[in-house]
Amino acid sequence: MKRSAPTILIVDDDEGHAILVRENLAAGGLNNPVEYFRDGQAVLDFFFKPNPDRGVEKGRVYLILLDIRMPKVDGIEVLRRIKLDPELRKLPVIMLTTTDDLREVDRCHQLGCSVYIQKPVDYDKFAEAIRRLGMFMTLLLVPTVNSR
Amino acid sequence: MRKGLSPATQPRPRPAKRERKGTAEARLQAAIRELKDIKAALDEHSIVAITDASGKITYVNDKFCAISKYSREELVGQDHRIINSHYHPKGFFRQLWTTIGRGHVWHGEIKNRAKDGSIYWVDTTIFPRLNGKGKPLQYVAIRTDITQRKADEAALHRFTGDLAEKNKELEAIVYTISHDLRSPLVNVQGFSRQLARACEQIKSTLTHSVGRASPMVELQAPLEVAIPQALRFINASVNKMEQLLAGLLRYSRAGHVVLNIRPLDLNTLLTEILAAMKFQLDQAKAEVQIEPLPSSLGDRALVNQVFANLVDNAVKYRDPTRPLHIKVSGQIEAGQVLYAVTDNGIGIAPEHQAKIFNIFHKLDPDASSGEGLGLAIAQRLLERQKGKIRVESRAGSGSTFYLTLPKVGDESIIATP
Repeated sequence: MKRSAPTILIVDDDEGHAILVRENLAAGGLNNPVEYFRDGQAVLDFFFKPNPDRGVEKGRVYLILLDIRMPKVDGIEVLRRIKLDPELRKLPVIMLTTTDDLREVDRCHQLGCSVYIQKPVDYDKFAEAIRRLGMFMTLLLVPTVNSR
Repeated sequence: MRKGLSPATQPRPRPAKRERKGTAEARLQAAIRELKDIKAALDEHSIVAITDASGKITYVNDKFCAISKYSREELVGQDHRIINSHYHPKGFFRQLWTTIGRGHVWHGEIKNRAKDGSIYWVDTTIFPRLNGKGKPLQYVAIRTDITQRKADEAALHRFTGDLAEKNKELEAIVYTISHDLRSPLVNVQGFSRQLARACEQIKSTLTHSVGRASPMVELQAPLEVAIPQALRFINASVNKMEQLLAGLLRYSRAGHVVLNIRPLDLNTLLTEILAAMKFQLDQAKAEVQIEPLPSSLGDRALVNQVFANLVDNAVKYRDPTRPLHIKVSGQIEAGQVLYAVTDNGIGIAPEHQAKIFNIFHKLDPDASSGEGLGLAIAQRLLERQKGKIRVESRAGSGSTFYLTLPKVGDESIIATP
């Protein structure tokens, strides 16, 4: 049975970044469905307070691209909450952020992020990083979310 | 030749008995004179006291009387507990007595209390005079006033702490800027590239359309979607950067404003603030209660700015489901003036409470305008006036911001470096 491609959840308070990430993932050959969340609270609601319009679906696969500095609930808190959940903790979480503070990198790994990537400011490097990330993501085997 | 041998050790012819007695007396006189001079020199420099073996004071010099502000008559016959400041733990003096009781010299720093209650520090050496069996007969205590040095040390310690705090603050700002300024830069670069691609596409379409009827359909995507989108994000990003830089400048200026510290009547100050904000408060149907406020020391304009910001926040973050109540109260607490600005607004969840004072931090960018600078600047302004700000809040029921400022009479604390 062929596994379905994971839905990529982009969580970033900067909508421009989300668009650029999406475009470059597509340019890297990734055709996965993408959902955009503009802050941490929105993605927590997606998982913990799903509604018919928008919410986690049983049996689907998800992969999270998470920014750190966001209003309301920041990426660290989102990561913490996801990794505390017995079911959601299986989800790969890729930190994708403009900061390269080593303590922050440390903290995210301690909390259980899968990968930490800094968004390069130089756009060629940015595009290249996202394209490679896309290729990397095609190699990932992502578990399905069973129940909550 | 043997060096260092004094003439006294050279063998000498034995003098006659009478002559010997006269010389011995002369030498004794000389020795006494020398001892007197050494004592005079010691008294000139040091605080000296002598006690008997039980610790009772038998002698004090003038410097001892001067620094302790007790007369010689008040001191002799007492023990040193008369100047005990109760700063040192009991074990401190126990260890001192054990040392000198065994005939050893004790050296240390002691904080004492003078008769008028003033505090002084002395660097102390206690020298036991022993009998033939090694038992102490007397204790000679020689002290140097180190009150100033201790004050300097304490000040240094304070400055080091302040500096460490400032460094942390600076780090936080650099962190913020590195993120917040980089973010729009990525957009400017990325969407510029999108513009370039759109131009290429238009050019190529036009080149290939030579002789064809109309290239309009192919031009539609870049002209109606890609280019407007790119321009929108580039503009927004440039505005964002400009706003960040302007905010940074404002924050930086808050650290450099020249202070004009004087006693402030907070009652009139608050009345003026409320009058200036009347329209805004009326619109929010706010009910403001001001209790009698104690005066404090501060810069009028800056304290005004801080309180206005807090009242403004109370209006901004009110709970739309109930009428807004704001209460301002104040009291003297722990030698400072403590003001409280309480509202019944939406409140702040515990995990956000520390962050609200961070530069450019905004809990909910949609809920209000502004760049997330008000409280960061309020904190900075208060710190410059030796004040502080903190918050107590429950999400859903409201917040109380506590501010401290020095009380009237403590002008010396605000001496700006």
